[in-house]
Amino acid sequence: MSTSASDVRAEPRASGVGQEERALLAETVSRLFGDAFVRAAGQQERATFDAELWAQVEELGLAALLVPEAEGGAGGCFEDALAIAQELGRFAVALPLAESLLAAQTLAEAGIARPAGALTLALEVEAASQLDPERGLFTGALANVPWGAEAAGVVAVLGTGANARIALLSPAHAAECVSGANLAEEPRARLRFERARAESAPAGAGAALRLFERASLLRTGQIAGALAAALERSIAHALGRVQFGKPIGQFQAVQQLLARMGSEVAAVDCAAAAAFRAADRGDASFEIASAKLRANLAIDLCAAGAHQIHGAIGFTREQDLRLFTQRLLAWRGELGNDRFWAARLGGEVAARGAAAFWLDLTARADAQSGLRES
Amino acid sequence: MPRRPGDPSTLGSVSYSARVAQFRFDSVELPSSVPTLRAELRAFLAAELPATPAHKRANCWAVFDAEFSRKLGARGWIGMVWPKRYGGHERSALERYVVLEELLAAGAPVAAHWIADRQSGMALLRYGSEEQRTRWLPAMAAGTAYTCIGMSEPGAGSDLASVRTRATQVAGGWRINGQKIWTTHARDCQLMIALVRTRPEAEKHAGLSQFLLEMNTPGIRVRPITDLVGDRHFTEVFFDDVFVPDSALLGPEGAGWKQVTSELSLERSGPERYLSSFALFVELLRVAGPDPAEPLRSLIGRASAQFWTLRQMSLSVAGQLAAGRDPMIEAAVVKDLGNEFEQELPRLVQAALDDALAREGELARVLAHLLQVAPSFSLRGGTREILRGIIARGMGLR
Repeated sequence: MSTSASDVRAEPRASGVGQEERALLAETVSRLFGDAFVRAAGQQERATFDAELWAQVEELGLAALLVPEAEGGAGGCFEDALAIAQELGRFAVALPLAESLLAAQTLAEAGIARPAGALTLALEVEAASQLDPERGLFTGALANVPWGAEAAGVVAVLGTGANARIALLSPAHAAECVSGANLAEEPRARLRFERARAESAPAGAGAALRLFERASLLRTGQIAGALAAALERSIAHALGRVQFGKPIGQFQAVQQLLARMGSEVAAVDCAAAAAFRAADRGDASFEIASAKLRANLAIDLCAAGAHQIHGAIGFTREQDLRLFTQRLLAWRGELGNDRFWAARLGGEVAARGAAAFWLDLTARADAQSGLRES
Repeated sequence: MPRRPGDPSTLGSVSYSARVAQFRFDSVELPSSVPTLRAELRAFLAAELPATPAHKRANCWAVFDAEFSRKLGARGWIGMVWPKRYGGHERSALERYVVLEELLAAGAPVAAHWIADRQSGMALLRYGSEEQRTRWLPAMAAGTAYTCIGMSEPGAGSDLASVRTRATQVAGGWRINGQKIWTTHARDCQLMIALVRTRPEAEKHAGLSQFLLEMNTPGIRVRPITDLVGDRHFTEVFFDDVFVPDSALLGPEGAGWKQVTSELSLERSGPERYLSSFALFVELLRVAGPDPAEPLRSLIGRASAQFWTLRQMSLSVAGQLAAGRDPMIEAAVVKDLGNEFEQELPRLVQAALDDALAREGELARVLAHLLQVAPSFSLRGGTREILRGIIARGMGLR
């Protein structure tokens, strides 16, 4: 995180799938998720694993987007993944696809074979958990695992420091699985293992933090998508809902609120795009922290504003607005709430000193421009 | 509440392929010349910018210093994108952007040439006659000719098209009568580009034209207006039977409205729209030290995220301008969010500081200054309400 001007690593990760393919990818996933959204319309329960959609995702090879081509993946980069993350948020997709993308990438980096099916990440390893790498056995508990009961495999960083290892566990081998959910009813499970089989490989320094940051990055993309969905519905509602003889969108008070929401959504889009791009180009700790925090800060106005504009109907399960606003409220607290990222960023910036702030801020973009030319 | 099946946002009836027009904030690649350019600027600023207290560095594009502008001009950092034959340097718009942000981050006193560099020069290049360009552009680029904007009038603030200052055609030229207000540094500028009504009978927007008015022309009188902190940077300007030749008209008669509205993206998206409180942040970092406790620690983090995001957005608009687009709505978004943040920061700092720090010392002085001047940030260059109207229009609401 304390990236100085000189140590911004200018090492491109992956060239990705290219501009045109990226646009095509965005279009494909948008259609795919959009159709699934319409198919699920009318269902009260919108957070059960969508097996039909997962089959389509597998067929398209989307879950292996971030896995190198040599290892059977699509060889995509984070900028490619942004398209998927945004559409996941825009259509409130009930699948651990963001988690699968990162789990598959992490396994590929560690040289562990990827199992079939949906994967997820465990970012909260309970204290006293023990991995025995020689025997390949794990005893301990993983908390707050997204879709932990539904996934075929769970990837975690176990152990700390030099002993940290990337591990793959199977929820089917869990001694106990306590299903829970976040406030948007998205599944979050606690998995307890007793001498369960765990394939693992050395993780390298900072692996746990890096995985957490990547998960936060993907979530920032999802937030951007959910914000866009809430905004789109709010605009549509303001244009269609007639009161006092005209659409409420013609009242200045409503227009000004929507304009503020539009600006906030634009800020999150821009921050997310810049952070995903930075992640393809080296250490993106600062950018990811900034982008997730900025996304968190946008949620208050946008979720509350969307409800204000929708009136009482938006507060019901007869309307789909809540699918986005509830997720936004949940996601603001997950993968780093305001306090977490603000304190972290603040600590790093303060430690660098007053004179360094501007130099660091500009050095990041400049280093990236040099990268393109070289 | 009864279900309304006709309601366009009721479940199942929205067309999910239809999306709102999205604002465009593509990422920008800075030219490879930028690191060298920054190094040159930083060396120059270290040498030429005497140690200035933070409250003088805050909002520094309101601080007039002709000598500093001349030095900048001599280094080729004014009129950077203009053609060389007019004294410009034919650098890219993104290189110019880098110069602006370095000057503002350092708190350099750039008000003297700011308007000429940002707007007036471009207006002359786009609409001016050859004579007007050769007369003014080289001096502007040298940092010796300064311009002011004659738009607002007592009866025409946000509703700019209702300007009443009148130009009447007479033999060989025009006679101008009326009044402008909130004109910044008018006493120290040689030139005003003024929006006036040339055809009172025409429709509101059609009868407007812009003139190049030399400030030493007989009949022009300038009265300073003292602002609430006691500064005297803005003025009102009176025109009493001011005669100007035909050659003072900018572009064709009647084109004034189109000319002023086409400048808005240039005026609204620059780094000056989010950096006005930057000096306060630097001073806060200095006082907070390397390991601050809460709530300062989180405040610093939050502001850092905002600075980074706003810079990405502002840079993106600069990139679009450089590519020849006119991102008017995106510029309005940058200005509105930027102003909101540069106004929020003083408020948050005041709320978080210990009493003693808030009362005395350099941090207290810059804080006091910004708390008072911050309301102007969302007034100048388009009020918040006007900007949000533009953004709402961009979203299809009006």
